Amino acid sequence: MLKILSGFILGLIFTAFTAYNMAPGLMFQERVSPFGLEETVARIQQNIENAGNGWSLSGLRNPAKAVQSDGGNTLPVLMIEACSTKYSAPILKDDSVRFLSILMPCKISIYKKNDGKTYIGNMNAGLMGRMFGPMVGEVMSHVAADQAKFLTFDPSKPAPQMKVGTPGGGGAGGGAGGGGGC
Amino acid sequence: MSIIKNFLAWVFAAGSALTVLSALATPAPATAPKAETGAPALAPSAHPYAPTNGGAPAPAAEAKKPSASTADHSKFKELQKDFKEGPEVTKACLTCHTEAAKQVQHTKHWTWEFMNPDTKQRLGKKNIINNFCTAVQSNYQFCTACHVGYGWKDDKFDFSKQESVDCVVCHDTTGKYRKLPGLAGHPPYQDTEFPPHSGKIVKAVDLKDVAQKVGKTSRATCGACHFYGGGGDAVKHGDLDSSLANPGKYLDVHMAKDGLNFTCGTCHATSGHNVPGSRYTPTAMDKEKARLRGKADNSNPATCQSCHGTKPHPEKMAKLNEHTAKIACQTCHIPEFARGIATKMSWDWSTAGKMKDGKPYTGKDSAGRNAYDSKKGDFTWEKDVIPEYVWFNGKVDYTLRETKLDPSKVVKINTMNGSPDDGKSMIWPMKVFRGKQPFDAGSNQLVVFHTYGKDDSAFWGNFDWDKALEYGMKEIGAEYSGKYAFVSTEMSWPITHMVAPKGDALTCAQCHDAKTGGRLKNVSGVYMPSTGRQNSMLDMAGWALALLTLLGVIVHGAGRIYMSNRKG
Amino acid sequence: MSEKIYVFKVFERFWHWSQASLIIFMLITGFEVHGSYHLFGFGRAVSLHTIAAWTLIGLWVFAIFWHFTTGEWKQYIPTMEKVLAMVRYYSVGIFVHAPHPFRATTLKKHNPLQRLAYLGVLLFIGPLLWTSGWFYLFFGDWNTWGVDKYVSLEWVAFFHTAGAFMMLLFLIAHVYLTTAGHTPTAHIKAMITGWEEVD
Repeated sequence: MLKILSGFILGLIFTAFTAYNMAPGLMFQERVSPFGLEETVARIQQNIENAGNGWSLSGLRNPAKAVQSDGGNTLPVLMIEACSTKYSAPILKDDSVRFLSILMPCKISIYKKNDGKTYIGNMNAGLMGRMFGPMVGEVMSHVAADQAKFLTFDPSKPAPQMKVGTPGGGGAGGGAGGGGGC
Repeated sequence: MSIIKNFLAWVFAAGSALTVLSALATPAPATAPKAETGAPALAPSAHPYAPTNGGAPAPAAEAKKPSASTADHSKFKELQKDFKEGPEVTKACLTCHTEAAKQVQHTKHWTWEFMNPDTKQRLGKKNIINNFCTAVQSNYQFCTACHVGYGWKDDKFDFSKQESVDCVVCHDTTGKYRKLPGLAGHPPYQDTEFPPHSGKIVKAVDLKDVAQKVGKTSRATCGACHFYGGGGDAVKHGDLDSSLANPGKYLDVHMAKDGLNFTCGTCHATSGHNVPGSRYTPTAMDKEKARLRGKADNSNPATCQSCHGTKPHPEKMAKLNEHTAKIACQTCHIPEFARGIATKMSWDWSTAGKMKDGKPYTGKDSAGRNAYDSKKGDFTWEKDVIPEYVWFNGKVDYTLRETKLDPSKVVKINTMNGSPDDGKSMIWPMKVFRGKQPFDAGSNQLVVFHTYGKDDSAFWGNFDWDKALEYGMKEIGAEYSGKYAFVSTEMSWPITHMVAPKGDALTCAQCHDAKTGGRLKNVSGVYMPSTGRQNSMLDMAGWALALLTLLGVIVHGAGRIYMSNRKG
Repeated sequence: MSEKIYVFKVFERFWHWSQASLIIFMLITGFEVHGSYHLFGFGRAVSLHTIAAWTLIGLWVFAIFWHFTTGEWKQYIPTMEKVLAMVRYYSVGIFVHAPHPFRATTLKKHNPLQRLAYLGVLLFIGPLLWTSGWFYLFFGDWNTWGVDKYVSLEWVAFFHTAGAFMMLLFLIAHVYLTTAGHTPTAHIKAMITGWEEVD
C-alpha cells in the first residue's frame, strides 16, 4: 500500500513538474522572423487585413516607448492588435465566458532579442480555447487557423508600409484598418 | 491523472493570461509608434542632407540661465553692421580674437586632412573614399556645406585666407545659421528654395543677429554637421544623430537635457580650437586613472576613463572592474546604438540610376524610411541596433584610392586592427556599414565619381556612371581604365556615444549565455565561462567518469544489499 | 558486542560538515558558472560561488591552525600497511560480511585507503582548485602581478574545472563509502555525534 501511494505521489509530482515546465511553451509560441522588425509588423498587418472573416487592425503598441520615457531602455517591442467581431461577439455575449475579453483584442508581439534577430510571439489560441468549454473552443480553433494565416509570409511580395497608431485612441492618424469595433 | 494535468494546464493558462495582462497594463501612449517610425523632417526631399543646427535651438534650460560670459557681443561696435557675407563677419571676429583663425586653420575641421603618424596614410575627408557618399573630391561645392570655411568650391581653395574661416557655424546660438549643400560652405544670403524644386524656402541668414549672439559651441552646433554625416540625419555614425540635440535620459545619460546636460565640448574639452578625439587614431585602451584638474596632460580627455578611471565600479561589484582590462566601457554601457532614430545600415550604389517613367524616383521601406533613391541606390535602416564586437587596439588601416583591392572579396574600407594578445586591444562595439560601390575594374582600385554639379557629368544630373567616373577621376588627376564594376565594401564605426543609464548596461547573462553563446559569440581568442567555449573533451571525460563512479557505487551497493538479503 | 569510541572532536565535525556543504554548494554554483545548466542565473551563481570561496578560505585558515596545534595533521600521513587488505575488503569481504580489517581509534581515525584518498584531496585536488581559483578570483590583478603573459584564463578555467570534476568523483565515492562501516550508518553517526561503534 505504501509503495502504491508513494508511487502515486511521485507520479503526481512528476506530472506537475512536467506541466510546470511545458505549460509556457504550450500556451505561447515564438518563432524567428525572416524580416526586420518593421517589415515583419507591416507584413503581418497586411496579412490580417487580407484574412477576411471580419478581421481588422485595432492598433499597434510600443511598450518600449513607455520604458524610454521613464529614462530606460529595452530592446524594441511592437504589439499588433487585431480583432474580428465575428469571433469576439459570441464570447462577449455569453456571461459565463465574458471574462475572456481580457484576452482581446488578439495580439501578436514582434520583438528583437540579444542575437539581433526579430522574433514573433503569439498565444496558442487553439489550446487556450479548449480550456473554456466547447463554444469558446470552437471559436478559438477558427481564430487559431486565421492566426496561422497571419504568420504565413510571401517574400516575393514587396514590403508593405507599417500602419501605426490606434484607431480612436489618441488620434494617432487612424491608419489602422478602421475597424476597431472590438 | 489526466484530470490533474488538465487542471494544472488550466491554472497555468490563467496565470499566463494574467502575466500578459499585467504586461499590457504598462501605459503605452497610443501615438507612440508614430514618432519613432516617422521619417526625419527633411526626408521627403531627394537629398535629405541639410545641416540644420541639430534641428533644434539650444535647450531651454541653457537659454534661461544668466550668461556667465563677461562680454555681450551685441554691444560691440564691430558687430553692429549689416554683414553681406560670412567672411565679413569673420573679419569682425578677428579684430578681437586675433589668433582664432590661425588656430582653426591648424585643425582637421579646416584642412580635412590627417596624416596618420603610425600608418603613414594620408587620411581626412579630403582623401578618404568611404562607402556612403564615397568622396568629397570633385564634389566640393556640395560637401563643403560642412566645412568650417567659406568658398571651398573646387581644388583651388586658398587654405591660408583667414577671413575664409567660418566662426559662426560653431559659435552660433540662434539656431538660424544654416549652410546649404551646393553653396560651397556659405549660408544662403537670399531666400533660397531648398532642396531644389521642393517648394520649400530657406530664409536668408541674418548675419548681424547671428554675429551678435555668438557663444559657446553646443550639441546643436556640433550636431549641425556631425548628426547628419553620410547624407542625412542618423545616416553615418549610428551613435550620433539629431535625437542627441535634446536627448532624454534613456538615450544619453550624460547629455540628457533634464540630467547632466553635457554638451559635446564637456568631454571633447577643446583648447586652442583643436578638438580632441579622433576616429583616425582612436584611444582604444586608456590605462590612466581619472584625470586631475591642473595636471599637465596630453592624453585624450574624451575617453570614459578620463573621468571614471579604470576601476569605475563599486567594490561590491569587483568582478566588473576585472572586465575593464579587456572590455571597453562602451561594450556594456552602450548595449544598442541608434536608440533614438534609425541609422542607415547598408547602401547599394549598384542599383542607382533606375528610372520610373523616365524620371528618377524614391521608395520607402515598411517604416516609411527612404529605401531607394535613383540618385543613390538601395538603403536599409535599423533602429536599436546590436553592435558587432571586435578586438580593437586603436590602429586603423584604410583602403585608399591607391590601394589595390580584391574585388572577389568584401573590401574593408577601414580595417580595425587588434588581437586578444597584443596587450593594447579591448573588445569594442562597432557599427559595421555595408554597401556596394563602383571601382575601376581595370586597375582594381576604388574610384572617385562626380555626384553633384551643374555640369552634364554629375551623376545626380544625368545618371550616367561613365561620365561621372571619368569626370571624377580626371578631377583628381588619376588614371581610369574606363571599365567599372561594383564591389562589396564594409566600414566600421566604433560606437562611443549614446551611453545608456547604468541600469541598462548589459547584464552578465547577455554575454555569459551558454545556450546561445551570448553577445560576444563571434569574438575569438578569449575564454569566457558559460559561453560554450569550455574544453569539451574535459567536460565529456569529467561527466563520463562521474557517471561511471555513480554507476559503480550503485552496483557495489546493490551487491551488498543482495548479498545481505540472501544471507539474512 | 559492539563498543563505542570517541573519534571526532567538535571542531572536526564542525569543520567536516561546513566544508562538505560549502563544497557541494560550490559544485552546484561552479558548474552553473561553467555553463552546464541554468539555476541561479550566471551573475548570481558567480557571486554565490565567490562568497562560498571566501568562506571556505576562512574555514581553512582555522582548520590548518587546528590541525597543526593539535597534531591532528598526522592523521593524513600515508601508510601502505593494510592498503591491500582494505582493497580486498571493499571488493570481496564487504559482500560476505568479513571483518573490517581496520579498527578506528582516536589516534588513527582513518583507514589506510581513507588516508591515501584524503591526502590526495589535500595535496592534489585541493591545491589544484585553490591555485586555479585564486587566479580566477584575481583575474584583474594579473597585469600588476606581471603574470598575464604566462597565465591564460582558458587554462586556469581548465584546471579549475578538472579539479571540480575530481572533487565530484571524490564526493560520490566518499558519500557511498560512508555506508561501508560497521553498519551502514555507523560512519555517518560518528561524523555527527563523534562516537563510532566498532566491533
